Amino acid sequence: MASLARVPGVAFLLVALGIVFSIFAHGFATLSNLLNIGIQSSTLLLLALPMTFIIMTEGLDLSMGAVLGLTGVILASVLVAGNSLIAAFGAALGVGLAFGIANGLFVVKLGLPPFVTTLGTLGIAQGMALVLTGGESVAGIGPALPKLYASKWAGIPFSILVALSMYAVFHFLLYYTRFGNYVFAIGGNREALVLAGVPAGVFHVSVYALAGLMAGFAALLLTGRMNSGHPTAAMGMEFDAIAAVIVGGTERQRGNGWLPGTVLGVLAVGVLRNGLNVMALPSSLQVASIGLLLIAALLIDSIRRIKP
Amino acid sequence: MKYRLIGVALIVLALGLSSHAFATPSNLLNVLRQASLIFLSASGLTLVIVGAGLDLSVGANLGLSACFAAAAIKATGTLSSGFAAGVACGIAVGLLNGLMVTKLRVPPFIATYGMLWMLYGVNYWYMKGDTIYGFPPDFRALGSGDLLGVPIPVYLMTIGLLAGGIFTRYTTYGHEVYAIGANAEAARLSGIPVGSRLILLYTLSGAMAGLAGVIYLARLNSAEAGIGSPLLLPAIAAVLIGGTSLFGGSGGLAGTLIGAIILTLVLNGMNLLGINSNWQPLVTGVIILIAALIDSVTRRHAELHA
Amino acid sequence: MTSTPLVEMRHISKAFPGVQALKDVSLTAYGSEVHMLVGQNGAGKSTLIKILCGAYRPNQGEFLVHGKPVHIESTRDARRLGIAVIFQEFSLVPYLDIAQNIFLGREFPGRVPCTIDRGRLHSEARRILDLLGMDADTRAKAHRLGVAQQQMVEIAKALSQDARVLVMDEPTAAISDREIETLFQIVRKLRGEGIAIIYISHRMREVFEIGDRITVLRDGANVASLRPSETTLDELVRLMVGREVDTTYRTRFCEQPGETVLDVKALDTKSGIRGASLTVRSGEIVGLAGLVGAGRTELVRAVFGADTVIRGEIVLKGRNLNGSPAEAVTLGMGLVPENRKTEGLALMRSVHDNMLAAGLRQLFPHGWYTFTKARKAVEGLIQRLRVVTTSARRPARLLSGGNQQKVVIGKWLNAGSKVFIFDEPTRGIDVGAKAEIYKVMETLVAEGAAVLVISSELPELVAVCDRAYVLRNKAVVGELSRKDLTEENILRMAMQHG
Repeated sequence: MASLARVPGVAFLLVALGIVFSIFAHGFATLSNLLNIGIQSSTLLLLALPMTFIIMTEGLDLSMGAVLGLTGVILASVLVAGNSLIAAFGAALGVGLAFGIANGLFVVKLGLPPFVTTLGTLGIAQGMALVLTGGESVAGIGPALPKLYASKWAGIPFSILVALSMYAVFHFLLYYTRFGNYVFAIGGNREALVLAGVPAGVFHVSVYALAGLMAGFAALLLTGRMNSGHPTAAMGMEFDAIAAVIVGGTERQRGNGWLPGTVLGVLAVGVLRNGLNVMALPSSLQVASIGLLLIAALLIDSIRRIKP
Repeated sequence: MKYRLIGVALIVLALGLSSHAFATPSNLLNVLRQASLIFLSASGLTLVIVGAGLDLSVGANLGLSACFAAAAIKATGTLSSGFAAGVACGIAVGLLNGLMVTKLRVPPFIATYGMLWMLYGVNYWYMKGDTIYGFPPDFRALGSGDLLGVPIPVYLMTIGLLAGGIFTRYTTYGHEVYAIGANAEAARLSGIPVGSRLILLYTLSGAMAGLAGVIYLARLNSAEAGIGSPLLLPAIAAVLIGGTSLFGGSGGLAGTLIGAIILTLVLNGMNLLGINSNWQPLVTGVIILIAALIDSVTRRHAELHA
Repeated sequence: MTSTPLVEMRHISKAFPGVQALKDVSLTAYGSEVHMLVGQNGAGKSTLIKILCGAYRPNQGEFLVHGKPVHIESTRDARRLGIAVIFQEFSLVPYLDIAQNIFLGREFPGRVPCTIDRGRLHSEARRILDLLGMDADTRAKAHRLGVAQQQMVEIAKALSQDARVLVMDEPTAAISDREIETLFQIVRKLRGEGIAIIYISHRMREVFEIGDRITVLRDGANVASLRPSETTLDELVRLMVGREVDTTYRTRFCEQPGETVLDVKALDTKSGIRGASLTVRSGEIVGLAGLVGAGRTELVRAVFGADTVIRGEIVLKGRNLNGSPAEAVTLGMGLVPENRKTEGLALMRSVHDNMLAAGLRQLFPHGWYTFTKARKAVEGLIQRLRVVTTSARRPARLLSGGNQQKVVIGKWLNAGSKVFIFDEPTRGIDVGAKAEIYKVMETLVAEGAAVLVISSELPELVAVCDRAYVLRNKAVVGELSRKDLTEENILRMAMQHG
C-alpha cells in the first residue's frame, strides 16, 4: 500500500466527489454536464496557474478577482467603442499587467505583507471598475467575441482549449526554464538564490506580474461567456483559485509546488460547484462549501505533515 | 498621535473652506455617527492586529450577526434576544477563527479569509434573498437616534473606547496581548499562555463584531445578506490610519478612533464635493496601501536603529 | 604536497564592537593537504574563515593565492579565486533536484530559447558526483536527502565552480559515524586531486585521522601550527586553554547546598537529547559545559518546557512538569535565553513592560493592573540590578547588551523565580557588566535560589560554578565537582577522544 501514499490527496478527493455526485445529483454524470464543468473551470484555471507560483513563493494575491472584473470591463468597453478584439485584448492584458507589477513592487521592493497589499489593490481595482461603469454592466460588445467563445476547434470548446494551452505554457515555465527553478528557490531558500548571484527580486516581482497578466487574459473568457463586462463579475474568484491551489497540494512554505495538482484542485472546485448546483443548492452555500473544502485541505495537510 | 490630530485639524480646515455644507452641525454630527459605526466594527479588529493577528472576517461576521439579530427580534419581539443572537453569532465565529489559528496553525489571513467566504455563504443561504426590515423606534434609536443632540452611536463609541482602554491598560490580559503582538516567542518564553490568549482575542473580536452588527442593524433598519461587506476595507483602513501596526505590539483603540474619523472625513468630503461614490473603495484602497507603507517603513527604520 | 601554498592569509586582524576577534593571525594552506583548524568556542575560527570567503572584511592583513597578492572584498571575489566554504546552514533549494541545486544560477541554456539543457545539467552533475563517489540520482529532490548527502551536494556545488580551496566548518556535526567515513573518503579523494582543504573541527579523532597539519587558535591568535604526528590530544588541549581570568567573579562558594529543586531524569527530547539526567540544589550555581552543538541549549529549553519531551521526567520543587513554559514559570522557573534580543525581550516595548512580562499574574493575581504598583516594582528592580537607562519607559532596543540582559533577569526576579537558567548570559557583554551579572547570580543563590548556567567561556564557568555537567553529542557525559573543575578537564570531556 506504499504506492497509495504517493497518490496525491486531491486525486482521491476528486474521485470521491465525482462518485458522490454521480449517485446523488441526477444529471451530473452526463457528458454534456462534464463538458460544462470543463468550460466553467477554464477561467478559474487561468487564475489558479499563476496563483500557484505566488503561493509557492509564500505570497498571496487577493486582488485577482477584482482585477479580472476591471479588465473584463475594459475589454468590453474597448469593444463597445468599436475597436478590434485584438486591441481590446491588448488593453485588458496591459491593465492586468500593470496591477501585477504594482503588487510585485509593493511586496518585494517595499516589503509590504502580501495580503494587505493585494487587499489594497483589490479596493483600487474594484473602485476603478465601479467608477468606469457606475456599477452597471457594459453590454453591446458585438459578435466577434461571443462567436470566438462559442467556437469549437476539433470538437474542443474554445475555453477549454485556452485553458489547456495556458497550462502547457505554465508547465513549461515551471519545469523547463530557469524562471521556474527560481520560483522554487524563492519559496524554498531565497538565500541560496542571492548567494548564487541571481537577482531574486526581479524574478519575485515577475511572479506577481504574471498573475496580473493572467487576470487580464482571463477577461477574454469571462467577458466572452457573459457577453458583457461587469465590475463585480469575478468577485471572490481569487478565493476559489487559492482553494484550488492549496487543495491541489502546493504548500505555502518550502517552495513546494505541484502544477498538475492545481489542475486537479480547479476540477475539484468545479465539480463541487457544479454538483451542488445540479442538486439545486443555492450558490451561497456553494461558496460556504468551498471554504470548508479549503479548511479541510489545510487540515489534511497538517495531519500529513505530523506523520514523518 | 500628535500628527494624526494635526491631520484631522487640517482635513477639517480644508473641507470647511472648500464646501459650504461641511461645517454645518448636521453634517458634522453625521460624520461622527458614521465614524462611530466604523469604529465599532473596527474595535475588535484593532485588538487582534495588536496581537499580531488579523481578522478579515469582521465584515462578514458583522453582517451575519445583524441578520441573526434581525430574525431574533422579529421572532420574539424582544430587543434583548436580538442582542443575544447577534453577540452569540459573533462569539461563535470568533471562537472558530481562534481555534483555526491556534490549533490548526492556519495563518490568520487564510483562516479568516476562508471564514469570510463561509460566512457570506451561510448569510446568503439563511436570508434566501429576503430583507428583514422595520424595527421598533427604541431599537432604531441606537443607530439613528440622538441623546442631548449627540448621536447615540457616539456614546457607544465612547463606551467602547473606555472599555477597550480599560482592557488594554488595566488588565493583565491586555498587557499580555501587547506582549504577544510585540514578540510572540518571547511572550511564550515568559510564561504567557499564548495559545489560549489568542483564542480569547479572536473570540473577543468576534463578539465586538457581533455587537457592531446589532448597532448597524439599528442604523440601517433592515438586514439582508452581505450588508457587512462594505465595512471590511474601511475597518482595516481605520485601524491602519490610527497607527496600529500590522506587525503587532503597538497602537490601540484611540488610534482607531482617530483613524475612523479621518477616513469618514475624507469620504464625507468626497461626497460633499460631488465625487461619485463609486470612487470610495478606490480611495480606501489607496489609503490602506499608504498606511501600510508608512507602517512598514517606520518599523524598518526602528529596527535598523536598534 | 607542493611548496607554493595555494592560499595564504597574513597578519589578519579583525575587531567587532567591544571585542578583538582576530589578532595578527596568519594561516597557510597547501594543495593536497587537509589543514585542521582547532580552538575553543569564540577563539576566532568562524571569523577567520568568513574573512577568507569574503563575507567579512579584515581590518588589517593581506591575501595571497599561488604566491600572488589578491583582494578578497566580497564572496564573489573569493569564489572567483576558487575559494569555497561549506557552512553548517546549507543553501539548497528543497524542491529542486541535485543537478538543479548544483548549478543554481549557472544553468546551461538549451537550444530552444529560455529552456535549460537538462541533459547537460544532469550529465555534468553526474560527473561531479562520481568524482565524489556519491551514487545518488541527480534527479533526486534535495528535501529527500539526508544531512550527509546534502552536505555532499554542497561540496559538489563548490567543485562545480572549480574550487581549489575548500573550507569545511564542523562538517561532521550532524551526521552519523558511517556517513563520517564516507565524508573522509571524499576528503581524501579531494586531497588527491590537489585541493587544499581547511577543516574546522573539535573532534580530536578527526584531527588525528585525516589531518595533515593543525593550527590552534586561542583568543583570536594563532598559537601553534603543528603536524598530528608531532603532538598529542593533551598538548592540543593545553594549547587551546589558558586565558587569564582577571576578575574573581565569585567570593563564596556553596558549602551546604539545600534541597534538590530541579531533578531531570533520563530525558529524551525531540531535539535529539538522549538520556540526560542532572540535579540542581538550592544555593548552587551549576554549570553546563560542552562545545557548540553538544545540546546544552536544547536540554535547558526542554527542561523549561519550550521544546518537546519524548521520554523522561522533569521535577521542579517536587512537581512533575508537563512541558509548557507557562507551567514552569508559574512554578518558579525562569529562562534567560541565548538570543536575548529575539527570545528574551520584546525590543520595541519599554523596559517597564519587558520587566513585568513574566510576573503579571504574580503581581496582579486578580488581573487588575495598577500603574503605581507596577512602577514601584520596576523601579525597585532597576535599582537592585543597576540597570542604566534614562527612564523605564525607554524601548528596550536602545539599551546596551549588558543592560538588556539585566532587564531579562529583572523580568524573572519580578516573577519570583527560584530556579534560574542562564544560557550564555555574558555573550556580547562588556567586562564590567559581566561582573555585575555574576554578582547578581551570587546574590540569588545566597538567598536560596538555584542557578543553572550554560557558558562557552570556560574560564568564567570555572570561576563561578560550584560544579558542572559536561555535554557531548546531545548526552550528559560527566559531572565535575568543584575541585575537578578546570578548563582542561572540561574540554577533554567535551571533545570526542579516541
